[in-house]
Amino acid sequence: MLIKRRDAAARSPRLQAVAAGLASGALDRRTFLKRSGLTAGGVVAIGASLGSVRKAEAIAAHDHSKSAERKMNMCTHCSVGCSIVGEVQNGVWVGQEPAWDSPINRGTHCAKGAASRELVFGDRRLKYPLKLVNGQWQRISWDQAINEVGDKMMEIRGKSGADSVYMLGSAKFTNEAAYLFRKFGAFWGTNSVDHQARICHSTTVAGVANTWGYGAQTNSYNDIRKAKTIVFMGSNAAEAHPVSLQHILTGKETNRANVIVFDPRFTRTAAHATEFVRFRGGTDIAVIWGMMWHIFQNGWEDKEFIRQRVDGMEQIRAEVAKWTPDEVQRVTGIPGEQLKKVAETFAKQRPSTFIWCMGGTQHTVGTANVRAYCNLLLATGNVGAEGTGANIFRGHTNVQGATDLGLDIGTLPLYYGLVEGGWRHWARVWGVPYDYFVSRFDEVPAKGGRPARTAKQNMETPGIPSTRWFDAVTHKPDDVDQKDNVKAMFVFGHGGNTIPRMPDSVKALEMLDLLVVADPHPTTFAALSNRKNGTYLLPICTNFETDGSRTASNRSIQWGEKFVEPIFESKDDYETLYLLAKKLGFADQMFKNYKMVGNKPVPEDILREINRGGFSTGYSGQSPERIKAHMANQGKFDVVTLRAPANEASIGGDYYGLPWPCWGKPEIKHPGTHILYNTNLHVKDGGGTFRARFGVVREEKQADGTARQVSMLADGSFSQGSALTDGYPEFTFGLFKKLGWDSDLTAAEVEQITAIGGNNPDTVGWATDLSGGIIRVCLDKGVLPYGNAKARAVAYNLPDPVPVHREPIYTPRTDLVAKYPTRPDGRQFRMANIGETFQKRALEQGVAKQFPIILTSGRLVEYEGGGEETRSNKWLAELQQDMFVEINPADASERNIRDGQFVWVSGPEGNARARVKALVTERVGKGVAFMPFHFAGWFQGADQRGNYPKGTDPIVLGESVNTVTTYGYDPVTGMHEGKVTLCQIRAA
Amino acid sequence: MARMKFLCDADRCIECNACVTACKNEHDVPWGINRRRVVTINDGKPGERSVSMACMHCTDAPCAAVCPVNCFYTTADAVVLHSKDLCIGCGYCFYACPFGAPQYPRVGNFGSRGKMDKCTYCAGGPEADLTQAEYVKYGANRLAEGKLPICAEMCSTKALLAGDGKIIAEIYKERVTRRGYGSGAWGWKTAYKETVAI
Amino acid sequence: MKMAINALRALTFALALAVLGQAAPVAAQQAPNPTAQSVKEEQLLNALRGGDAVAGRITIPDRTAASLIQPEGKSFRDFHQGSLWLIGGVSILGMLALLVAFYGTRGRITIDAGFSGRTVTRFGGFERFVHWLTAGCFVILALSGLNLTFGKALVAPVFGDAAFAALAGWGKIAHNYLSFPFMLGVALMFLVWVKDNIPSKLDVEWLKAGGGILKKGQHPPAPRFNAGQKAIFWIVIIGGVAMSISGWYLLFPFESGHTVGDQQFWLNVHAVVAMIFIAVMLAHAYIGSVGMEGAFDAMGSGEVDENWAKEHHSLWLAKEKQRAGATPPNAVPAE
Repeated sequence: MLIKRRDAAARSPRLQAVAAGLASGALDRRTFLKRSGLTAGGVVAIGASLGSVRKAEAIAAHDHSKSAERKMNMCTHCSVGCSIVGEVQNGVWVGQEPAWDSPINRGTHCAKGAASRELVFGDRRLKYPLKLVNGQWQRISWDQAINEVGDKMMEIRGKSGADSVYMLGSAKFTNEAAYLFRKFGAFWGTNSVDHQARICHSTTVAGVANTWGYGAQTNSYNDIRKAKTIVFMGSNAAEAHPVSLQHILTGKETNRANVIVFDPRFTRTAAHATEFVRFRGGTDIAVIWGMMWHIFQNGWEDKEFIRQRVDGMEQIRAEVAKWTPDEVQRVTGIPGEQLKKVAETFAKQRPSTFIWCMGGTQHTVGTANVRAYCNLLLATGNVGAEGTGANIFRGHTNVQGATDLGLDIGTLPLYYGLVEGGWRHWARVWGVPYDYFVSRFDEVPAKGGRPARTAKQNMETPGIPSTRWFDAVTHKPDDVDQKDNVKAMFVFGHGGNTIPRMPDSVKALEMLDLLVVADPHPTTFAALSNRKNGTYLLPICTNFETDGSRTASNRSIQWGEKFVEPIFESKDDYETLYLLAKKLGFADQMFKNYKMVGNKPVPEDILREINRGGFSTGYSGQSPERIKAHMANQGKFDVVTLRAPANEASIGGDYYGLPWPCWGKPEIKHPGTHILYNTNLHVKDGGGTFRARFGVVREEKQADGTARQVSMLADGSFSQGSALTDGYPEFTFGLFKKLGWDSDLTAAEVEQITAIGGNNPDTVGWATDLSGGIIRVCLDKGVLPYGNAKARAVAYNLPDPVPVHREPIYTPRTDLVAKYPTRPDGRQFRMANIGETFQKRALEQGVAKQFPIILTSGRLVEYEGGGEETRSNKWLAELQQDMFVEINPADASERNIRDGQFVWVSGPEGNARARVKALVTERVGKGVAFMPFHFAGWFQGADQRGNYPKGTDPIVLGESVNTVTTYGYDPVTGMHEGKVTLCQIRAA
Repeated sequence: MARMKFLCDADRCIECNACVTACKNEHDVPWGINRRRVVTINDGKPGERSVSMACMHCTDAPCAAVCPVNCFYTTADAVVLHSKDLCIGCGYCFYACPFGAPQYPRVGNFGSRGKMDKCTYCAGGPEADLTQAEYVKYGANRLAEGKLPICAEMCSTKALLAGDGKIIAEIYKERVTRRGYGSGAWGWKTAYKETVAI
Repeated sequence: MKMAINALRALTFALALAVLGQAAPVAAQQAPNPTAQSVKEEQLLNALRGGDAVAGRITIPDRTAASLIQPEGKSFRDFHQGSLWLIGGVSILGMLALLVAFYGTRGRITIDAGFSGRTVTRFGGFERFVHWLTAGCFVILALSGLNLTFGKALVAPVFGDAAFAALAGWGKIAHNYLSFPFMLGVALMFLVWVKDNIPSKLDVEWLKAGGGILKKGQHPPAPRFNAGQKAIFWIVIIGGVAMSISGWYLLFPFESGHTVGDQQFWLNVHAVVAMIFIAVMLAHAYIGSVGMEGAFDAMGSGEVDENWAKEHHSLWLAKEKQRAGATPPNAVPAE
């Protein structure tokens, strides 16, 4: 029985009605507890009014007089990777207990983790498949849903091509489901397979990988305990990654560490900092160059580190020289003295670590921002050692794993490129002829002055980023560089309100022929538009109702156990993908390597297949058995080093979760890599060097016009115990032969290498050698299979090889646009990217005058992502009942806005506006407003609760910030500009 | 017997609200009842601190003193509990409580607040330990299972400490000494008439 | 009343005043160290005045929850368990003692002239209904109210905690619901009797004469209501209104965003007024029943003896008779 406080209701009648709804109708089973007239009590399973839905078990929660089964899984709400211990009685999840042994969370949770159990008896889940018929939701069977969806997909494929079906996957997938989804895309014949990483850390992955090799957090949450200086830039970890603060605050206390927070907003994280630096959003590069100006000026850089391990720092130095303290203050607003102090602290009080999140990545210059951060770390020698590193906090439970496993429009699983070699590698692993995949892709005709593409060329062309899917629907066919526009959206576990320009996505939704939402909740996708037909909602269970592994931000892989069977009629991702593949006719081939239980492939088998092909990223050593042994022995891992004592059976010497790269086959028992590029350790102990990913030499133009060859390999730096004591390239069979190391390979290994290589076995490299032999021998020789290079301060293959400051498209500082314009218009990812046109138009129209306030966005601790799941969770929803905008008291008083009243926040594009409550606070500076982005269900003032299928509407609805956010895309990854736009605020 | 207390180290509390939802989850506390809550002082300004607050299980508890029907009692572990069978929902304990701990299922219009509900320090109520009757009225009894309150056990940054007063005071003292600052043992003076001397 | 003033002050004490500066705009700013500038509990507690609370921001809509520590709870407890007992004890026991003493010295006030046998209508049916409605409610409200303060010491030991809690529970329900007819009664009383209760010069004389009840045979003239009754009337009205307002806030504690401090204040007002009110009503009840011969009839049957009326409300009786149109046998007012 839910009881609502009247005072809350009085001010929020809408919510009162919702709360009342919770206690009525189908949920009346709860009222049996009312007889007690008391407050506590509850019911776990769901009511009987749902027909064939799983039988109601109206038992009171947790019977403490009986014992309960303990199971372990992970929290799905961020990437920290907190273990959740569930107590299960009679197949019902009745209680949560602290997971004391987890070295990551040590029993603790944030609001979301502690409320996880609600996800599995939540009344607002999708209960059975639904279909939209003339604007009405109709219950249908799974069979009917799969049949109709499959038929429609085939029809679209026939008319418009495979690329017209957009596959949006999820960071909530297990590794196995993510991999399966990417594989599904390959079998279907499209590279438009994406997920939340696009809007989260795609620029990080691109920026970091282009600097030193791999796109991931270099160290771990736990390792931050060793840092002496901790910098947050555009990261509000206290709200977005609360459990990480356990390690950070402990480090801050024990080391008396400096905690420096750069943010336009005085965040909850800033409240616990030793230094808060407020700066103007979108000027990160200027800030970093400003810090490095002081560092170079005073000789605080780590010269030896740069000499040995960094390539191109002189070019950075030249750019940095332009950023004098005066110019930095003019652009960023940070006083010179403060920045000097911070720069000195960062350079001198080492080890220093740099943490960033969406505040850094969600920009038109996202990738450049990331590379500037990396440069700061490289210049001060703060990479590749304990307490240092680029600690990138990712946002979803498995956004790292899903990225690794190829839910990306530009890669195959584990970063194998969209090139013939990559495709052939996976075709071999999958046991399917390469030509089959070529046959699945569209041929693209010549359009808009661009040449035609063969199927093979198309399969090597990156797809459309999730930030632009709606443009790919609504733009003229000539503008979209594929056979036809997107006609169908296939959304597995992705919110519909997390991408800017929602008014445009509404238009696109209404134009789609087919919309499939497979999710525990209907999501904003289902409710946002006025679609009348052709929407299918497939109820998918949560991770607590399925097995599988997940990769936390620190690259540790953890195995989650199924707590209970999927509730209602929901199915897991594995089964749903199998049913669809079967309908589409490729299930036999796609699932042939897995043991099937009914319609479900065994996830352990999927992981084993990943292991067999995952050499490039070191996903090869984490067999299900090893990961499960880690879960069973969590308590034996050290909380700082994450390492188990050497003498422990089965896990001895391992790092917790075998953080990738975990080299070679599971049998060779590589311990995983806690800290990337750490030359202080032997590779067999998780040591490493920067990756030789970009060739061995580069040409550098000299002043006299001649060119000089510059080595990109490390200079006198190598990991401990290395047989090679200088830089070296990545290893191939050919190089092995030159070194005479081929004799260390077994006959079977050589045979397999030869089979893979065909006519030219010398080209078989460590990453495509399915025998694992090359890697095995590398480890024995103490060298890194991927080589030993310098990190690249300058990424020659990217736009702006040396990052340069560029004003946001919608900037209040119009005076700076001429000097720091956004990038010229161009085309990337099959779409035009015309930021320059938008910036010019904004200048001409005087947008900055009409919309004088910078609008930024971010997370609340109670909600996650699009928020459908968390806003449907009554324990969380109660804590944040209204969408709001934070506004500075000065801006509020100029506008006669009182705290708590409704206001209209309007954006500069398409008269977009949002009706939200004002939260007047000094948390934001004057001229800055902040909105959380988890809300949806109101659109430009209209309450869309009625659009949700009955009983599945989230408890809390509100305007989405992305209704008023605007155009702007990073040229490298298609990342949207989510953190800086302009707005105007008026009392409603 | 231990003298159970709560201590919120505000220099660690990040207002993540885990304590709040852990409590809701453990005891299936309904919407509108907040046995625990987090209040942020100086919100949005430098020096901002958040404090997680619930029933502090006071020494010589004011709620017990003003209760007209003697429904409160103090356990051997110094946990202040109450009997919902005796409670008449008059609201006096709410008036007397310095911490806003007593909660009522209804808002008290026409005086019908319903039976008072509050933090039990995860120690159930007067019913027999670990029975369904106890669970339904008061929630789980973790103390009887040898566990501490779930809010403190699940606190993301280990800001909220629960356990014997002497031990948690020691932990807090040690932290303050090590890091060199501390905003105080919030509520201790008011609840226990003592504070943690550093 | 210090507490009252404190409580009435805005209780959501803006703690910003404590130490800290303003957040700077984007461009120009200091370099704040949030750790070093953190608020300290002690500092905040020291800055508190009276009923203020250490308060902050909270995201749930229950604004009272934003109050973190309100040490005033202790004062409430001290008042409720200390001063209130004293006030209640002194006023109620004191009044009882006074009445006993009065009865002992003066005895029952009889009608000097004896019953005439002729009656005159003093209160009509509606008036008596209003009186008894209010009085009946008052008695139950008073008993159930006193029970909440003194019951656990005086009644609980007799019945045991469980039975007492049940009794108190019913008492509370009765208290809450009978408050409405009581409030109606007070309002009606005011409308019905206010015109007869306007103070006049006669009241001074009546009071000078001690109302004629201290000494046998002395009967100062009085209109429909003498000064004593007027005092009772105004005490009932003012007391009733005070009880109603304070009670209303207690019945609807959160409707208009009242803080705990407000509620403490209104409960204290309610309790103190109640104690005095009850004491006064004891005297009223005494004089209207055992204390004075013939008085009860006024509210009993509504018909009073002419001689009683002559002695206590001579002016009224004269007026009544005049109004009746019949010239009384002895037209000279009894003076």
